[in-house]
Amino acid sequence: MKYYLYWGCSLEGTGANFLLSLRPACEALGMEFEEIEDWNCCGASVSYAGASDLAIKVLNARNLAMAETKGSYDIVAPCSSCYIQMIKVNHEIKEDPAVLKEVNDCLAEGGLHYKGGIKVRHIQDVLFNDIGVEKIRERVTKPLNGLKIAGYVGCQSVRPYGEYDSTVKPVVQDRLLEALGAEAVPFPKKMLCCGSGIFLPEMDYCLELVKSILEDALNHGAKLVSTVCPMCAMNLEMYQDRINKKYGTRLDVPIVYLTQLMAAAFGMDLKKGAALNRNVIPPEGILKEAIG
Amino acid sequence: MAAYEPSFAQEVFGNVDFGEEIKMCMQCGVCAGSCPLRDHMDYPPRQIFSLIRAGKREEVMSSSAIMLCTSCYTCVVKCPRNIPVMDVMHGLAHYALKQGYVPRKDTANFGKEFWNQVYKLGRIDEKDLPRRVFFADGLVNGIKSTLNFMDVGIKLLLHGRMKLLPERKIKGIKSLRKMLDKAEKMGKGGAAA
Repeated sequence: MKYYLYWGCSLEGTGANFLLSLRPACEALGMEFEEIEDWNCCGASVSYAGASDLAIKVLNARNLAMAETKGSYDIVAPCSSCYIQMIKVNHEIKEDPAVLKEVNDCLAEGGLHYKGGIKVRHIQDVLFNDIGVEKIRERVTKPLNGLKIAGYVGCQSVRPYGEYDSTVKPVVQDRLLEALGAEAVPFPKKMLCCGSGIFLPEMDYCLELVKSILEDALNHGAKLVSTVCPMCAMNLEMYQDRINKKYGTRLDVPIVYLTQLMAAAFGMDLKKGAALNRNVIPPEGILKEAIG
Repeated sequence: MAAYEPSFAQEVFGNVDFGEEIKMCMQCGVCAGSCPLRDHMDYPPRQIFSLIRAGKREEVMSSSAIMLCTSCYTCVVKCPRNIPVMDVMHGLAHYALKQGYVPRKDTANFGKEFWNQVYKLGRIDEKDLPRRVFFADGLVNGIKSTLNFMDVGIKLLLHGRMKLLPERKIKGIKSLRKMLDKAEKMGKGGAAA
């Protein structure tokens, strides 16, 4: 199965371990990827400070139009911000065809046109609905043997549209974790926001959010927290020492991408395949113990 | 709460992206109840909408609440009247900044620099963005912030999570800018003071 892979800016830098593990893990399941040539940033969630809503739509429509001109594969966007920004354009066009005309008036300045026919999918959607948990389970050679993992869903991978999962009680990430042999622990704060794009400028407030998410996961027995979003991963992982300093806590919980766990459970090299050496809080010890 | 005073509401409907959606608000407060940063807002979203109807322009345009949005979409999902509350808040913040108000200084700097990079390069340079944000507030504050975040930068660097080369412009940057310029001209919420 072939897809466009729109990995976005973060996955080349702070989210490198996501892209590095995603490719081998997904290719092992028969997925093929093509890059959207000369793609641009999606604008993420803070561009509104400098840009009008239409400009942000046009920014995303450029990527959609370029993909549509080249072929008709679905776009897979692993970063939840990229995903939501692109899917939003498609939804608003469907609700109001006048939006498509406005967008196309702008795209015409660069000789592009969007018909509105490209589907944008989250990586969890594709894994769950196109590949399926059965096929993933079959590919597992080193099951995670009941390792307790908190599947942190966060926000933009399912909200607001709920394309492939419930916006209230999401289950997809948990089912995928279970297919790898892990035990997905329930924890009520799996959908509480981590602060996302305003984490850096509003750190004092956002540290509180991360603290409550991680403590909730740990209180429910999790040894690891998994995520499918580069902002979540960054915010949950990088500032645990600051939280400890501020609140006197002892947080030290590894944050791993779902695709890293897939690569590990598929028997790939923990460094070269799963890119676990790129995590700042090392998860190798816990994973090796589980895999055996 | 003051009586209904429609002039500011009209201004919002006409100039703010998603501004007209406010008409649907029935003041139930579910948006405030669902917001992760509600405790830090001067006015919860419900009250912002009510202040708009009451014509309280200054209170709304300088409210920290309109820029404290993490974009989590919870309010959008929960609103029983299907108001995209988050988009309204973004629209209000964009409009307030255009009018010279600064609801949250650091977030405003961050968002503006983010967009500047998108416009300049077509992509985000994760090294350059924080540097620009840190120094947006003068040299001394810039150095302080840089030192404060040095540990994060070093950790990322040591773990291969920082792109070493500067981000280059996308090939189609000129045509992208033309599209965005046109969008700014056509779009709502673009009117300067």
